[in-house]
Parts: sequence; C-alpha cells; structure tokens
Amino acid sequence: MRLAALAFLTLVAACGESKAPALGGDPEQGRLLLRQFACGSCHSIPGVANAGGRVGPPLEGVAKRVYLGGVLPNTPQNMAAFIREPHKADPRTAMPAMGVTEAHARDMVAYLYTLE
Amino acid sequence: MKWLIGLLLLCGAAGVTVLYAGWYDISATDQHLRPTYWLLDTSMRRSIKWRAAEIEVPDLADPQKVRAGAFLYREHCQQCHGAPGVAPKPFALGMTPVPVPLVHTARAWSPAEMFWVVKEGLKMTGMPAWKYRMSDEHIWSVVAFLPAMARLTPGQYANLEFLPVEAQRRSPGEPPSAKRGVQAINQYACVTCHEIPGIVGANAPVGPPLKGIAARVMLGGVLPNSPANMVLWLRAPQQVAPLTAMPDLGVTERDARDIAAYLATLK
Repeated sequence: MRLAALAFLTLVAACGESKAPALGGDPEQGRLLLRQFACGSCHSIPGVANAGGRVGPPLEGVAKRVYLGGVLPNTPQNMAAFIREPHKADPRTAMPAMGVTEAHARDMVAYLYTLE
Repeated sequence: MKWLIGLLLLCGAAGVTVLYAGWYDISATDQHLRPTYWLLDTSMRRSIKWRAAEIEVPDLADPQKVRAGAFLYREHCQQCHGAPGVAPKPFALGMTPVPVPLVHTARAWSPAEMFWVVKEGLKMTGMPAWKYRMSDEHIWSVVAFLPAMARLTPGQYANLEFLPVEAQRRSPGEPPSAKRGVQAINQYACVTCHEIPGIVGANAPVGPPLKGIAARVMLGGVLPNSPANMVLWLRAPQQVAPLTAMPDLGVTERDARDIAAYLATLK
C-alpha cells in the first residue's frame, strides 16, 4: 500500500515536470541561442552563461510575468514577436531587433518559459 | 495502514495543518469565528486608543470646517459608511467587517481617535489610509463634521449645502526619505505589481522585479535611469511610454521622491 502511494506520488510529480515546451521550440537550443544573440549583455538570465546584464529587466521568473516590455500581455506568441520585433510592440523601447529568425525565437521562448 | 494513521495524527495535532489546508473560512460572507473576532476587534480598539493618545486636537467648532467636512464626507466616506437616511453602496454591504455608520462612531470615539483612523486606515478592515490623498486639515474637517452629522435628521442631511472644497494633498518640503518611501510604495500599490526586496508582500510578477533597480540602465524599457527620471517615470509613466501598462497612480512629487529614495537603495 505504502509502495503504491509512493509510486503514485512519483508519477504525479513526473507529470507535473514534463510540460510541453512553449511553441514547440527546443529549450536547450534556446538557451544556447540566448547566449549567441548576447541577450545576457542586457538581461540577467538564469542558466545562460555570462548573462548578467543590467540594462533591461532580469528574466528570472519571466514565464510568470504578466507584461512583456511593459506593454504586451505575456504569451509565448507575444514573447516571440517581442524578441523578433520589439519596436512593433513599443516604438520607444530601447530593446533592439537582433535579427532573430522565427525558428530561433521559438527556441528562445521555449527556454524562457522554463524560467518560472 | 500505519501511514494513514500517521497522516491523520499529524492533521489533528497541528493547527498549522488547518491553516495550510485552507480550512479556515476567509470568505466575506460570514463573520470570523467568535474568538478570532474578539482578538481582532480588541487589538483594533486598543491600538487606536494607544496611537491616538498623543494627538493634539485643533478647534473643531469652526463652522467653515464643519461645512468643508460635509462636502468631503459626501465625496469620500458616504459610499461605504452611509449617512442619515442614506445606505452604503452595494459593494460596501458585501464587505466584512461591514463599514460602520459613523453617526454612532462620532458618539463613541474621541476626535483624536477618529482623526487617527481616517488618516492611517485600518489593516484588513477595508478602511483606507487617507494620509496620501488628503491633507491633515481636510481630515480634521471630516472629523469636525461627524458629531454634527450625528445630530442631523435624514431630511436635514439631504438639505445640507455641500459647498465644494478644492482637493488638498500633503505639502512637499522635507528632503526625500527612503523610510517614508517604504510606506509610499505600499500606499501607491506598487507592491501589487512588482517584486520589491525588503517590502513584505511585494512579490507579484505583473511588471519586472525591482531587485537591483538602482543599477538598471533603462526604466520601463524606454527611459535612461537617473534619480530625476525615476521621479518622472513614477509620476507620469504614460507620458514617458504611451503604450505602457503601468498606470498613472497620481503620485505626488514628494512621494515620488521618497519612493525613488528607497528604490535607490536596491543595488
């Protein structure tokens, strides 16, 4: 009985963890891309090497943040759009467009959405 | 079966379990349990008496003050507390504790005590602090009006001349203070959207976390961070970033400086 309960709990815990990556992107690839596009020179990003920038807001917990760039409701789609074309969302933003492709943005979003 | 017995024992033993399980009823449809009610009510009464003891009461007989108080009361208090022959608004009736009729309060509490409550508010009762929205002078006007109101018939109240008085906020003057900033951060609801180190309950992820904000380069993604720009951003975010979701909270210059002084400590 005890064993059964334990097995059940383990199963529940495992189910909780294996959330499908946002936008079907590859989180691991996204983590590397965030480094390659130097996102960390402006943002601190947990798990990304040399990402301790203090120009924009820290991205720790960004998966749970309600607004992106202070202007867009946070959804995976909006995050990808904001990464690719920040000025479309807010013409005044200091965040530059880094020439991120749609596929790369999907991977980045997949990683950023693991930061809860 | 042993684990089940162990679990039950744990549940029974710890009041903490009751708390974490969510069994305590915090709904506003029913009053607290009698012991909880007694505890909260007694703490409130004792706290008010103790804190109001040192307050110096100005002359409240001045008819002009009473007249100004009538207008301010109708503008800011009547919605929750009602007035002679006037019921509180529906939202107020749904509150627990339900706001009391001040015609009784005026007879039961001293002017200093009423002044303190209006100015500082009461945690978890729904009574807001008016300190950040009204000058001391205007709060005293309200206090001056309350005993007069307690002696009006519904007809007399309805026939009062409610002569408008201009809104009055606290005057600037004192140099910025991080300590006052902490209170202002609570009073302007910054805590409901931002995670702010050192402030109890400030842990919401609506906007960006303010940890390290003193060293951040940009504000709202659009404005270079400097002490003057921080004050500007706090006072008029939509002027700086027209698309921002951060609302204009009506922060005064003085309060913005106090808030900025606190934020400057978050390195």
